[in-house]
Amino acid sequence: MHKENNYIVFIIKLKWQSVIAAIAITMAFLFMPMEVHAHGVNINYTSNVEVEIIATYDSGTPMAGAQVAVYAPDDPTTPWLTGICDGEGRFSFTPDTARPGIWDVQVRLAGHGGMIHIPVGGDTTTADGQGGFSHLQIGIMSACVIWGSIGTALYFSKRRKT
Amino acid sequence: MKFPIPVIALSILAVVLAGCAGGGATGKLQFYANGEDFVRQGFVSKDGWSISFDHVYITLSDIAAYQTEPPYDTSSGTGIDAKTEVALDGVYTIDLAEGGEDAPPIMVAEVSDASVGHYNAISWEISPASSGPAAGHSLVMTGTAEKDGQSIDFTINIDEECEYLCGEYVGDVRKGILKEGDTAELEMTFHFDHIFGDGELPQDDELNLAAVGFQPFADGADAAGVINMADMHLVHVGEGHCHCACE
Repeated sequence: MHKENNYIVFIIKLKWQSVIAAIAITMAFLFMPMEVHAHGVNINYTSNVEVEIIATYDSGTPMAGAQVAVYAPDDPTTPWLTGICDGEGRFSFTPDTARPGIWDVQVRLAGHGGMIHIPVGGDTTTADGQGGFSHLQIGIMSACVIWGSIGTALYFSKRRKT
Repeated sequence: MKFPIPVIALSILAVVLAGCAGGGATGKLQFYANGEDFVRQGFVSKDGWSISFDHVYITLSDIAAYQTEPPYDTSSGTGIDAKTEVALDGVYTIDLAEGGEDAPPIMVAEVSDASVGHYNAISWEISPASSGPAAGHSLVMTGTAEKDGQSIDFTINIDEECEYLCGEYVGDVRKGILKEGDTAELEMTFHFDHIFGDGELPQDDELNLAAVGFQPFADGADAAGVINMADMHLVHVGEGHCHCACE
């Protein structure tokens, strides 16, 4: 209990410059890229995983000669690769495994088309996905923590005066 | 100059509340309806009728766009499970034949503060209009059909109510990818060659085999006895198909 009180008093005694500094330091830590140094080992790998798609109509008729557009996860608007299905509706490509995520493949022929979504690599979140926390969210969360600490301090400060 | 702690604390709280109320980055999401060149320029049906449209009124409601992960599969027969949804209030009767032969798709409405992300699914309903030129009908097609010197002024009314669940737009460009402060489009596409067939395609083409053509209407058939909207595949997102349920 004694230690807890000391901690609270410490916060109350902070001058405004110190509070600003604390916030700045907190934010700086939140946005600072973390790097861990250990014994230097670099492990690289290459993976040639060929993807083959087979496009058919609902009836089973192959989409022979259909246009194919392949989109990498980190650029969903510009085709990474374009091509044409063969006579059996087949098309093959080898995605860049350095760009993990969901690869989108669009197939179109004579006014009909569809898309298939193929996970590649360990991270299968889409490039434009909103997974994780944005910098704004992290900033808000850190502000919440600081506000909680100051609020608690103010509460106990008022109790001491009364 | 000294700032008391309460002032600093309240300032931080204001920032926090503003951040919470903001709801994240947004942009403008626009919804379009497109009857394509079949409606704007006319076409020849599978049974040789040259069709031109004066008006094609379609009444849209319950329009919503979604961000789904994984992407919605229209063949699943299930509903759309979305992490983000943007819905349009209201009912919209659109004339898909509006404008000239080269008129662009018609904007139905827009949402100016849609959350950023990839809107890879869309749903809407068609239902009878309560007022206006299409009152009582969900789809009204008026125009002229000509064949072998014969000319018929037609009005074809569809009264069915249908719900359409669609995945991502399929076309020359990808649509629905909304970035902060930017504008993205979504399109509800209607393929009228699926009803009348396409004279430029072989008679045994799957599209023509499923289409009813125009001859039944030239013979005076009622649309309700000829057209089953659930089987027509009228509705698409670009070239992508949709799941359809009609009453």
